[in-house]
Formats: sequence, C-alpha cells, structure tokens
Amino acid sequence: MSENEPKILSFLCNWCSYGAADLAGVSRMEYPTNIRVIRIPCTGRMSPKFILAGLRRGADAVWVSG
Amino acid sequence: MLRHPRYVDEEKCIACGACAEKCPKKVIDTYNAGLVKRKAIYVEYPQAVPLKYSIDPETCIYLQKGKCGVCQKKCPVDAVDFEQKPKTVNLNVGSVILAPGFEPFSPAGLENYQYSSHPNVITSMEFERILSASGPTTGHVVRPSDNAEPKRIAWFQCVGSRDLNRCDNAYCSSVCCMYAIKEAVIAKEHVGEDLDCSIFYMDMRTHGKEFERFYDAAENRSGVNFIRSRVHTVTPIPDSDDLELRYVTEQGELKTEIFNMIVLSVGLQTSPELIKLAEKLDIDLTEGHFAKTGTFTPVETSRPGIYACGAFQGPKDIPQSVVDSSAASAAAGELLAEQRNTQVKERELPPETDVSGERPKIGVFICQCGVNIAGVVDVPKVVEYASNLPYVEFASDKLFACSQDAQDNMAELIREKGLNRIVVAACTPKTHEPLFQETLTDAGLNKYLFEMTNIRNQDSWVHKNNPELATEKAKDLVRMAVSKVALQEALKETELQVHPSAMVVGGGIAGMAAAKSFADQGYETHLVEKSGQLGGQARNIFHTAKGESVGEKLNEMIQAVDSSNRIHVHLNTELTNVEGFVGNFESVLSSNGSEQTVEHGVAVIATGAEAYKPDEYGYGKDERIMTSLELDKKLMDDDPALNNLNSAAFIQCVGSREPGRMYCSRVCCTHSVENALALKKRNPDMNVYVLYRDVRTYGEKEYLYRDARQAGVIFIRYDLDNKPVVKTGGDKITIGVTDHVLQMPVELEVDLVNLATAVIPYGDEKLANFFKVPMNEDGFFIEKHAKLGPSEFSTDGVYLCGLAHYPKPIDESIAQAKAAVSRAVTLLAQEKVFSSGTIAQVDQQLCAACGVCVSICPYSAPSFAEEGRFAGKAEINPALCKGCGLCVASCRSGAIHLKGFDTDQIFSQIFELDAAI
Amino acid sequence: MASNKIGSVMVVGGGIAGMQSALDLADSGYYVYLVEKGPSIGGAMAQLDKTFPTNDCAM
Repeated sequence: MSENEPKILSFLCNWCSYGAADLAGVSRMEYPTNIRVIRIPCTGRMSPKFILAGLRRGADAVWVSG
Repeated sequence: MLRHPRYVDEEKCIACGACAEKCPKKVIDTYNAGLVKRKAIYVEYPQAVPLKYSIDPETCIYLQKGKCGVCQKKCPVDAVDFEQKPKTVNLNVGSVILAPGFEPFSPAGLENYQYSSHPNVITSMEFERILSASGPTTGHVVRPSDNAEPKRIAWFQCVGSRDLNRCDNAYCSSVCCMYAIKEAVIAKEHVGEDLDCSIFYMDMRTHGKEFERFYDAAENRSGVNFIRSRVHTVTPIPDSDDLELRYVTEQGELKTEIFNMIVLSVGLQTSPELIKLAEKLDIDLTEGHFAKTGTFTPVETSRPGIYACGAFQGPKDIPQSVVDSSAASAAAGELLAEQRNTQVKERELPPETDVSGERPKIGVFICQCGVNIAGVVDVPKVVEYASNLPYVEFASDKLFACSQDAQDNMAELIREKGLNRIVVAACTPKTHEPLFQETLTDAGLNKYLFEMTNIRNQDSWVHKNNPELATEKAKDLVRMAVSKVALQEALKETELQVHPSAMVVGGGIAGMAAAKSFADQGYETHLVEKSGQLGGQARNIFHTAKGESVGEKLNEMIQAVDSSNRIHVHLNTELTNVEGFVGNFESVLSSNGSEQTVEHGVAVIATGAEAYKPDEYGYGKDERIMTSLELDKKLMDDDPALNNLNSAAFIQCVGSREPGRMYCSRVCCTHSVENALALKKRNPDMNVYVLYRDVRTYGEKEYLYRDARQAGVIFIRYDLDNKPVVKTGGDKITIGVTDHVLQMPVELEVDLVNLATAVIPYGDEKLANFFKVPMNEDGFFIEKHAKLGPSEFSTDGVYLCGLAHYPKPIDESIAQAKAAVSRAVTLLAQEKVFSSGTIAQVDQQLCAACGVCVSICPYSAPSFAEEGRFAGKAEINPALCKGCGLCVASCRSGAIHLKGFDTDQIFSQIFELDAAI
Repeated sequence: MASNKIGSVMVVGGGIAGMQSALDLADSGYYVYLVEKGPSIGGAMAQLDKTFPTNDCAM
C-alpha cells in the first residue's frame, strides 16, 4: 500500500456491500488501492476481535459494512 | 419458432465492452426509455442476463450497408460473427405458458398533453429511468429540456386507461396509481421536501397489500398533493420550459397552475404483435385484448394446454404476475405430472476423494479475463508470487478461467498433481463461485476446498490508472485467499429426505384449489378444515365478477376434492401441535377429542378471513340494513322481498380504509357494483345508489363500473370525515350524504341498505407460532417477499394463499393457491433437500449452555439437546441454519464454528495483512 | 392417451412472469424452453428504479 494513505481493512457482507463493491467495478468507478476486503457471510458474523486484530496488525482503519 | 441471430457468439463473448466503445453507430436506448443513446452493438444494461453483447441488425452499419466491422476487429476473443443467420427451431413440448408481458401505452397521439411536442412532458417509464441510479441522469431528478432540477412536478393518472374517448382502453391498468405515488415519494426523497408533487387522478386505487398505508403516508407524511380532477388542457408557457395546466376541481372551480414538468402515468396494453400471435395460436382474448380466462381456471386460456400469466392475462402488478406465473407452472404440472423427470437428465458425478489428513496442496489459478485483468494487473508477476506462497503446489494463469477449456484443464491438473485446495483469482465469487465449485466436484474434490478472490471487480477495474499498486493488491488478495483455503476442510451438506406429502390448513376455495393441485401432481394431501363443511366464504357468494355462478362451481370443486383418493379431508378438525421442519413436519390434528399425528413434507396456510360485522350505519337495528354477503344470500335464494324494492343504497368501505384498519378490502367495490347491476336487472326502474370513497374496480372489472353507470346506477362520493348518516324508524330508511358534485347535503330514501364490509383476518397467533411465520399489524400473514415471494413464507416448506394473505377475489385466491403448490412442488419434486455446507456447528464440550445462540438466531436453528451425552447443551439444526454467523460471534465460550468462515480462517486473512501493511 | 404427453414446457417471454414460471417448472422436473425476443431476460421490471414497499432496487 502507498505510504501516505491510511490503510483500511474492510469486512463486507456477502449479500449487500460485497455486491456493491462489485458494482463499483462494473460501473468502472475508481478509488484508492489502499483497501483490503474480507468477505463475510453477514455482518452478524463480525466479532470485535476481528477489528482489534486488524488494528494490531497495522490497519489505520477498519470498515464494517452490511 | 424463429431464432434471431445475435451476431455475437455467446460462448466466446466476455462482455468486455471493447466493441461498443468503438462502434460508430449511436442509436436510441430503449432500455432507458429513449432518454439517451447507446451503440448498435450493446448489452441492454450492465446487469443483463446473459451478459453478452448483441448487434441490433436494424441499425448496425455493417449489416445494413456491408461496411464498417469495427467491432469485429476490436473483439479480443473473435466473438463477432456477421454470418449468423436466423434459424427456424421446432420444439415439441407438452405445454405452453404465455408470459409475453405488455407494452406501455404511447401518449404520442394525445395532443392536449403535449407529449410529442414538449420535452418536459414525459411518461412514467421515462421518469422511472430518471429516478434510477443506473439511468441517464444517475438518479438526479432533472427535467429533459434544460437539465434543471424541477420545483413542481405533476402526474396525470389514467393516461391510456379508463378512457374510450382518446384511446380504446376501457379497462383500469391497476398499477399506475401505486407507481405514481411511489415515484412522487422517491422524487421528493431525491430532490428534497420542497419539491411539489401533485397527482391528478379520478379514483385513487391502492388496493394492494400495504398500499393504503403507503398512500396515507405519501399524503400525510411526505406531503404529496392528491387532486381529484382530470386536467383538460396543457399549454407551454412561451419563453420558458414550464407548462400551464387548466383543470376543474371537484367543486366546479376552474384552476390554472404552472408546473416545471409533467409525468404521464401511462397504462398497460397488449401489443398488436401479441394480438396477432393470440390469433395464430387460436386463443380467445377479452374486450381489452388480454388472454381470456375463467374465474375458477385463472391461468387457462381457451386452448387446452396453453396457459397465460403476467400482464398478458390482465393488467396487473409484479406480485400478482409472480403469483400467476407460478400458478401457470402448477397448471402445466397438473397436466404433465406423469411425465415429470422424463426430459431432464441427471448428471453423473465421480466419487469424492478423501483429502482429510493430507498436507494442503494448493493450486492457484490467476485469470487474465482477456485484458480486463491482465490490462492492469501484471498477471505473470502475481503467478510467480503465488507459486512461492506456503503450501502452493502449482500456480498458473488462464486467459479466461471460466471458459470450458480452462475448466477441463483445471480438473485435469487437480487429478494429475493431486491438488487438494484450489484458489481462483478472477472476477466475483457472487457470479462465478458455483461454476468453479462444479469443476472441483467434477474432479472429485469436495467443492468447499475452494476460495475465490476478486482481482477484477474490486481491483483491476477500479484501479486502472494505478497498475503497480493494483498488482500489489492482487498479490495481497491471493495471499489472503491461500492462507484461508489452507485451513479449509471438506464440508458435508446434510441430506434430508422430503416426505412426499402436503398439509393444507383451511378448506375454503384457496385450500381446496391447493389440495386439488397437489393431488393432481401426485402428492398425498391432508386438507384440514375447522368447520363441518368445505367451501369457506365462497358458500356465501352469489356471482363472480365475470358473471359465473359461484355455487355451481363450488359444488364441482367440493366433489372433486371429496372423490380424489389422494386427498384426506379432515372436517371439524384443528391443529393442536406442529413439530419438525422443511420436508419433515409432524402435525397433531384434533377432532372431537381424538388426536391423530400426520407427517408431511410441506404445509400450505389457507385459513381465510371473515366479513366484518359492523356496529355502524344502523346495522342490527333494521333488517333492511344488511352486509354484502347477506344480500348475496337473498339474491341466491331469489328472495321475493327483492321484488318489492324501489330503491337501494350501497355504502362502501365499511370498516376498511380507516384508522385501525388501514387497508382496502379489495373485493367490495366490484362486489357492490355487481350487485347494484343485479338489482337493476331485476327492476330497471329502481333507484340504486353507491356511496363510495374511491371506486376500485381495477383491471377489467372496470367494465362493470361502466355498465353500472350506463344502467343508471348513481355514484355519490363521500369523505372519511363526512360519512353518510343512516336513519331508521320510518317507512323508508333515510341516508344523509353530501353530494360531491352539488356540494350540498342530500337525503336518499331507500328500501334497502347494503353495507360493503371489510374482510377481516382471523389473526391466528397459535398457527403463526406452530409454523414460525409472521403476521402484520392487521393480522394478515406476511409473505417471504412482497414482490418475489408472494405465496411462500421465509420459513422453508411453508406456503401461503387466499384471504389469509390479503383480501382478494376468487380468481386471485385460486391462482395463489396454485402458486403456493407450484412453489411447494419444487421442493417435493427434489425428494431430498441439502443443507448448505457453510453452516454453524457447536463444539458441545465447550458449550456453557448459556442460551444466547438459542435466543439470538433469527431462524430458530439452535436449540438445547434433549438427550445424549450433551443433553442441555446447544445444538444446531443444519436444515434451519442459514450460515449467517450471528451465533458464532455472540457465543461467549467460542464453542460455535462457522464452517467455511471459521474464526481461524478470518484471522488468517487478517494476519496476512502484515506483509501488506 | 397419457403416454402421448411430453415432459417439457415452452415459456414465452423472459420477464418476471416468464422467469418465475420457468424456474418453478425446471425445479419440478420438467425441461423448459424459455423464449425471449430480446437479447436478455428481465423484462419491464429491470427498467424500474425501485419497487414498493421496501424501495428495494428493482434489479
């Protein structure tokens, strides 16, 4: 990832936000590269531990969407 | 049948869009209702299925003039084929279902509305595209002439409907009132509260489920203006793009107002080509050019074996179309039941290799997707990187990983190299995961030993100006996928046998129609009725809207049900308990103190509703004041008292569309108009009045309203805050009402008052609990999806039809009964169901039996084990689990695992960020 | 004459109604020919913006 950008880890719900991220591609939108997506079956799956682990592993921000 | 060429090879086209980018020919985009242009080589819209380009031969320069061919040169996979010719295909089929749809009425000929001459007068379909985020204005509400945001928008209802003066469509199109309200509300959401939305209408027809509440909220919460008037003149205002409307209010006052934009709520009609097709197929059409069907056979056309559904069967909305189309499938299924599974082929699969205990040997396949990925991401670099990751046995790239040859090659490599985990880095798993999983299965590998990562939609396509970082991102994504798949294990899909039988609760029209359809399709059916006889409310109804005698048809139905050896009728019977789940229900039936347990694979709820017993309008004080069903009884009995009537009045909306019961009972307007005509027929000199709020004779029932007015029935409108007042005690009954035309109180003296009372659901909580199905605030059951799942519940294996869902006439009840059966048969026909492999499982050694999972699960999948070593601990029913992971995240003991998305797998993905960050 | 019946059905029209019929029949063990005159299925519903009551995207 680039040096000056915040590093974002995101957890996207398979049924909505992950599909939206796909659609952003289909629509050829552009956004910065400093985001990594983990697909989850539902935001119900989210555990606070995942967020903490992400931050401890160097993410500047964690984004949960669903 | 003639198959038109697409001029693009579907097998080859990868929908990259290179062809359309360079195509020099711009043509009108019909998908966007002509608001913008597209190319001659096109996909209709980005989500189209199949997502394959095709060439419009009418506009393509090459096909018209033999020159150009740019698309052929630009296509990277050589898919463009100008040599394709129309092909005649002959099919032999057992049945035909016609679902050809409608065309929107074209207002081009209506000069007084200026549609053809003024850019700011548009149709509702055009406005729909303007509202859409995928439309030409990306959802910004602007008017066509100057792209300015309008401040005032007017909707005109009944354009091309209920009109014989300016078009030939006498029927009501049924859907326009509701879509106009929806458009107005959404337009206000987009533009802001200040947007003035005014809907000009004759009768507001919001007769669908939850529609009345939406109408009420639009008026009272969103502030949409509803003006009961037909605008007669639209004049463009010189030196501006605005329009002046002139109309007469209900009070007779002439008004002039200026709007920035006009939306014409155009009706639905059958296209001339379809009328010709119907003629060719020799099927009868109605006066409005819709397929002619009977009330008791709502999807059968006049020609046996040919069924009709959707807007071709009559103007209707999406849920009703979905109901009909499932009903048509059931009707075809009844006809062809003995030939089920004769034309379909079972696939043969190789035995599954046991890889448990093996060290992971991961195969990684990186897709170039033509230039879609390879044009941005340095694929060879990613391949090289992947081949050095832990446990990776083999990595390679593929031009198109989804192509048949690539799939065959993948299966071969799995067998040859003994790969036991696969990663594909390509497009999105949402569309392509099943395809690759199938390849694994074909190669004898458990399909869950697979992970897909998205380096197209979420990488190359969105970072096309940053190839270097996009390549780095692709490497990270591949590494994360590899680490996740290494922890993946083979998952089992639990197989559940489906008991090949059905239970139908409720022996009315809907319940009987459902039972009959099950039986005709070969399934044992238990029909449970709490009263002592079959027939339900239909026993009390005189005629259908199409004039058929209900009693006659009902007796035929009862006979058919009674004589079927597959239907077990349980009268005077109630359900006292239900256990089990999809495919395996066990219900206890109780009749006169004796109990019986019945096993069944599916259940249909058809418990019906009853008529409201009013305490208003003097009901019960004078026997000349009666409900609609009581009048039907007199008509059925040919009661001589009816011969001495000189006048009668029908009061509509008794108990409907009021606070506390904010829904339209849907059937009463048609019912009253029908009976008003019946009275007029007995005695043409009789004075018959209908006191109404909106006349809701939707669809082709509108003809009855027209006939009633022609027969001299007098319609007087009243408001909710100024209801009619009924006085008894005299020689005649007196009704005081304010006439909406005269604006004066009038007194009607009548010999009979008919109260059109509401349809009231039973609100059976016990039944709802038995099957874990929800009810709305009115007591009607809530279906799975208002549009796409109208005849089933979210609970698998439980279906819904008839009045228990919402008030509806007989034809719609029967259609929904058949639809419920059609949906149920898709399950019964499989004979077994498989749960998904990605579900939660409890490690009972760790379970603290706290019960959080049991209480939190929206699908009631976890419960406490009742017996065995771990009695009292939680266990999860794989048939009910949807794999959302809610219980996993909330388990305090870490005792629940979500297969395929287990905690260690998600952590492994997070940990792989290290290298990235 | 039952043996003359054929276990396949032709569905004319690839809109919401045609698709639902085709899915139901295919899942019930019949071979289905879905016939659509345009290049893709979806029909009029695909043109709509949002649908009542959830205002879900119609797509």
